[in-house]
Amino acid sequence: MNRYFFYNFILVSFINLMLYVPHILMADRYRGAVQSLIIGAVIGTILLYLYTGALARYPGKGLPEILKMHLPKWISNSLISFFTFMWLYATSLAIIAFAIMINRFFNPDVHVSLILAMLVLACGYAATRSSLTVMFVIEIGLIVNAPIILFVLFKAGSNPHLNWDAIRVIANYVTKAPTLASTAAASFIFTGYINMSLFNRLMPPNSRFRHRWIYPLMGFVILLITFFVPIGIHGTETVGNYIYIWSITADSLLMQYGFIERVLFLFLIVYLNLTLVFTMSGWHQAMEFVKSMISNHKPEIDSEKTPLSNYVIVGVFIALTFVYLLLTNEKLNMLISTYWLIFRMFVEILLVIGIFILSRRRPRSA
Amino acid sequence: MNERIRLMFAEAVDMKLEELSNGEMTIQVAYIAPMCEEKMIADFIFVPFAKREQPYREQLRTIVEYKVADDVAKWRDLLLRGNALIEADGIVYSLYAARIICNESPQTQVESAIQGPQLALSEDLTKSLNLIRSMYQSADLSVEEHTIGSVSKTPIMVVFDQRRVDPTILDNVRTKITTIHVEMVNAAGELDKLLIGKRKHLFPTVLITERPDRISKAIAKGKVVILMKSSMFAIILPATFFDFMHAVEDHYEAFWMTRFLIFLRYTSILLTITLPALYISIVSYNPELFRVQLAFSIAGSRSAVPYPSFIEVFIMLFMIETLIEASIRLPRYIGSTATTVGGLILGQAAQQAGLVSSIMIIVTSVVAIANFVIPVSSLSFAVRFLKYPLIIIAIFFGISGVAVGVFVYITYLCNLRSFGKPYFRIFGRLQPTEGDIGQVKLK
Repeated sequence: MNRYFFYNFILVSFINLMLYVPHILMADRYRGAVQSLIIGAVIGTILLYLYTGALARYPGKGLPEILKMHLPKWISNSLISFFTFMWLYATSLAIIAFAIMINRFFNPDVHVSLILAMLVLACGYAATRSSLTVMFVIEIGLIVNAPIILFVLFKAGSNPHLNWDAIRVIANYVTKAPTLASTAAASFIFTGYINMSLFNRLMPPNSRFRHRWIYPLMGFVILLITFFVPIGIHGTETVGNYIYIWSITADSLLMQYGFIERVLFLFLIVYLNLTLVFTMSGWHQAMEFVKSMISNHKPEIDSEKTPLSNYVIVGVFIALTFVYLLLTNEKLNMLISTYWLIFRMFVEILLVIGIFILSRRRPRSA
Repeated sequence: MNERIRLMFAEAVDMKLEELSNGEMTIQVAYIAPMCEEKMIADFIFVPFAKREQPYREQLRTIVEYKVADDVAKWRDLLLRGNALIEADGIVYSLYAARIICNESPQTQVESAIQGPQLALSEDLTKSLNLIRSMYQSADLSVEEHTIGSVSKTPIMVVFDQRRVDPTILDNVRTKITTIHVEMVNAAGELDKLLIGKRKHLFPTVLITERPDRISKAIAKGKVVILMKSSMFAIILPATFFDFMHAVEDHYEAFWMTRFLIFLRYTSILLTITLPALYISIVSYNPELFRVQLAFSIAGSRSAVPYPSFIEVFIMLFMIETLIEASIRLPRYIGSTATTVGGLILGQAAQQAGLVSSIMIIVTSVVAIANFVIPVSSLSFAVRFLKYPLIIIAIFFGISGVAVGVFVYITYLCNLRSFGKPYFRIFGRLQPTEGDIGQVKLK
């Protein structure tokens, strides 16, 4: 059942565009972003190997159960509430960014909070479903959308206006020392393994994470494309002018023979789907984490009836997302997002190493 | 005996209560004439009793067709199911002599296949079982009988392969069947609703079919089949969404062509659901989505239409839905006239009168035709509804609304379970050979 891990990994690495990762990398393009890509990839790979290795020892158990096994209740609860916040934040940020983007490209007349309302209701409905359902939705969402993303990437790569010189110029800045922000941004692409914190509950006892070398490879390719293709298309200087750099990149591509001429629309619809799937999975995980903090709660992976607590918790998430939209603007959003990415990297390093140590102390047979 | 039976039943002329005597012994015979094969009753009871070639008492004892029915409480059921009751020497025997009126070895009509088996299930349970057994000749085929409905007392048969069936599904089915409390069940569709237990559902989660080849294939896959008396349709469960998109002929024809057909079906289901909503969102929100020539020709064809696009869509969809409904319900001879009048004349006239654009007529026809491509009619029916919520959301949010709506549909589908098995799961097996996700029972 390796493919379910693969889906989670790919989902997160595709969704990096929604969390301003390319923009953060572009901002540092003369100041060590290239080396950050490499270091971020190394960090991501190490963490991925450690975490999957650790989780394979706990089949059918999510992060809350593992923490509860080893740590006193108050520590595990405070850690879990912390992770809840982390995931909630990332996913809400993505959905808000997309609501703003829809407002900008598709429906300029509709108020952004109305669009957000539509999006969060759909995500809220999806997030309240059972873990198994969420997993199936992730699978279908990726199988339907990934080919189109690959097509867009192919279009971008085969574009005759792609300027290899610009790419070479930036690549030559590889000697500059990496920055913290761009390293964190680059390592985000590999962070799909952290989704297994919850979805490890679904894994059967005899499952193993096989072909792990694929993930760093794919992650690195995605990272390189994310970073270099916009540079090749826009040039070394202009590329820093845009926030949604990939939307603009997609907009500079043309499908000569299709109904739809501008790749932008295809790109936006596909990313809308991916963002919905990502937000659903993030909220679902946050919701399950909150539920696991209630004492004597039994984790369920496929309950027949949706418990009321699901609706209540996700309702709170929706309200928080709205409050966040009202309180912030895009500029602030981006700033916070940068700090969040850095913060996330350190938290993940601690978490993964912690869980790894815990798992080694546990006898294998148990 | 006859006195008791007379008390049990309402006054009915077709109730035959006879007393015969041939000098040697006296017997009482009771049966409901229309329910029984009169020839069989004559051959088994009246003739041998009168001829006295062999003592009738002995016949009653030796021939297995006569079963002792000493429980008075069961008499009523026995008679109602077409048994004759015979009392001789104080012992009551029953003889099964039912005459079942059914369509004689019918042809498949609902799900036709060009090169598949042409025989459909019969309304008679034994004939249906005959078809299934002859197609699935295995000693593992298990058949259980149950009765449903406190008044209709409809016999149903649960058929499965005892070695391949998933025991959890079987338990689930058995408990469901024993807990159903209704008075009447007449059609497989009714039973299907009772089995699912949910009153409001968008999609069919059990497959209703008349094809014995589909049934035998399902049994081989470890599914459970429910046959029902006086219905030529069987219920297959659990079913997945993909079963509904799959025609039996996909197994019989050339590989690549059938793959192409399957692809065609998925494309058309997508079109029939989203096209009206996309029309609204493109005309009213994002004409820039299409290349400029196409956008102009769409706008040009709408130039005579005086109202917003969604009203146009509602007019045309109302027309096409009434047309489809009319041609299904009308007798076959008038049906084709309705289609001609509606499809050709009305569509053309509506466009020329400037009520709708010509593009909208194309959209409507694509929606209708694409809907008919779905091979199983229950899904085709369910899908007909799905476009309306999308239209509503497209009116307010345009194309992003449609994408969100499709996402919600997919989530809904993924959330459905057919007897505990996932309904909408790509690459999932009913009985996986290796460990599958979600198999762990959490403590």
